[in-house]
Amino acid sequence: MTTAVSAGRPSAVTARDLARATATSQRRGARFKLWAGAVCTALVVLPVALAGVLPLPGANAQDLSRRRLPPLSEGHLFGTDQLGRDLLSRVLHGGQVSLAVGVLAVLVSGLIGIAAGSAAGFFGGWVDAVVSRFLEAQLALPLLMMLLLVVALFGPSVTVITCVIAIAQWPEVARLTRSLVLVEREKPYVAAARVLGLRSWSVLARHVIPNVVRPASLVVLLLLAQAVLLESALSYLGAGPQRPFATWGRIISDGQDYITTSWWLVTLPGLVIAVLVVGVNLLGDGLRDRTRPRSRKGA
Amino acid sequence: MPTYLARRIGQSVLTVFLTLTTVFLLVRLAPGDPASAYAAPNATSADLARIREQFGLDDPLIVQYGLFLRDLFTGDLGTSYSFHSPALDVVLDRIPYTVTLAVSAIAVTTLVAVPLGVWMARRADTRRELGANVLTIAGQSMPDFWTGVMLLTVFAVVLPVLPASGFTSWSGLVLPTATVAVLQLALVSRLVRREMTTALASSYITVARSRGVRESALTWRYALANSAVPLVTALGTRFAALLNGVVVVEVVFGWPGVGSLVVRALETRDYPLIQATVLVTATLAILVQLLVDLAYPLLDPRVRLGKAA
Repeated sequence: MTTAVSAGRPSAVTARDLARATATSQRRGARFKLWAGAVCTALVVLPVALAGVLPLPGANAQDLSRRRLPPLSEGHLFGTDQLGRDLLSRVLHGGQVSLAVGVLAVLVSGLIGIAAGSAAGFFGGWVDAVVSRFLEAQLALPLLMMLLLVVALFGPSVTVITCVIAIAQWPEVARLTRSLVLVEREKPYVAAARVLGLRSWSVLARHVIPNVVRPASLVVLLLLAQAVLLESALSYLGAGPQRPFATWGRIISDGQDYITTSWWLVTLPGLVIAVLVVGVNLLGDGLRDRTRPRSRKGA
Repeated sequence: MPTYLARRIGQSVLTVFLTLTTVFLLVRLAPGDPASAYAAPNATSADLARIREQFGLDDPLIVQYGLFLRDLFTGDLGTSYSFHSPALDVVLDRIPYTVTLAVSAIAVTTLVAVPLGVWMARRADTRRELGANVLTIAGQSMPDFWTGVMLLTVFAVVLPVLPASGFTSWSGLVLPTATVAVLQLALVSRLVRREMTTALASSYITVARSRGVRESALTWRYALANSAVPLVTALGTRFAALLNGVVVVEVVFGWPGVGSLVVRALETRDYPLIQATVLVTATLAILVQLLVDLAYPLLDPRVRLGKAA
């Protein structure tokens, strides 16, 4: 079929040239990232979501006669920890807390960021001044130190940790939304809506925001990845959700005392976090690549 | 230029001051009693009351704040509860370690990330570049405490070639630097790739190429020079963030810097020490940001400081 066409084809461009073209390989790269990202994410998220259904020992069921069994022994796929608890079960149940915190934090920071960013971009003036000063101030603050302080202040409950991560992340959404709204508000449809007599608030809420939510929501996946990392870092430093929640950072910091004898206590939970975050980052990156207009003109 | 400098320094002082005030309020609103962390385990409530009075902790908040400000202007940040010596001295003893780690991590990052990013931009969208791209995503996805513990396991436990913790010789710097650099490298090389891709597609590159400028000169002298401002900004921001405390990595490696100090200070509710740490690190970080801003005209003669960006 191809030979028949290429024999008499009017164009010198062959199918091979097309396959080698920048646009094609950009798309191929984005597709690869999306696929690999989806696989990595599903590999972690599905078992975590199904942790209650899977035939696993309880996350807190101790069996002191089976302490620190290596992986793949006696039905313990990830082995057991220093108190004889099944490590896989702990990682999966801990993942439910870590993921829930991450998703909630991203939702909260997304809402705050879009609201503040679009108000700053749309109204300008003092609103913009206030929001922008906040953004700058937060950049200057020692972030992790402040987060540890706030957790020390309000206690390490799931709600507090979620809010703390959301506070850490809203500037990113706000800055992006602000820049998108700055472009959007100069477009003719905004002027048209004003001419129709809509108030500023309704122009912003009903016309401008729907047009920036999609591009702004692309960063959400990247933020989710950061949120999971931040939560595990806080847990590692002892400022994560308290026992009996076995969050990922906590499992690793508990297992660190045993790295000389039991490598899996740290290696496997960390690997799970890394696979999930790589997956989410790849998905976010792939989506961004795919929606981004071609930035390169040839060459 | 002098007015610009004066305004920027004024803003910086204000930011440090507001940060300090926030921290002052936060630590005092926090539950937890420094007196009970300070006192012996068998202290009576009378002992605790005496300690609180000695530290001035039973004064009203506004009085404490007034005294704090008065002492601040005389350079006195109080005595650390747990170290029993001036808080500022405790922090200044630790600062060289954090600065050493931050400098070496940023140096490694720059040396590796810039060539890597340039290579990725020039080979953009090839299969090998996709591989490198995915690797940088992996680099920014690994939790730093995990990378640290993994490097420890491999290079200090399985193959005992490097010291596991603390700072006894310069080789102790290798693993913490590598841990910090993995993440920074991933972030910076992606930025270099993005900037260089845009720069290499600009029309001045096409013009220069049509006039026969060699590819290597196009890349390094033309495109990279035009990407210098965002690149230096990013490196400066990263460096400032590292000065603010590489908390996690310092804890993993028992590095005697301010990051591990602040974790200890928070645990013992050592108010003067927390405040001194924040003052010193925030000042350093803001100073770095200021230097970066002042470097812009050197990097790009079109930039005039003080004009609206």
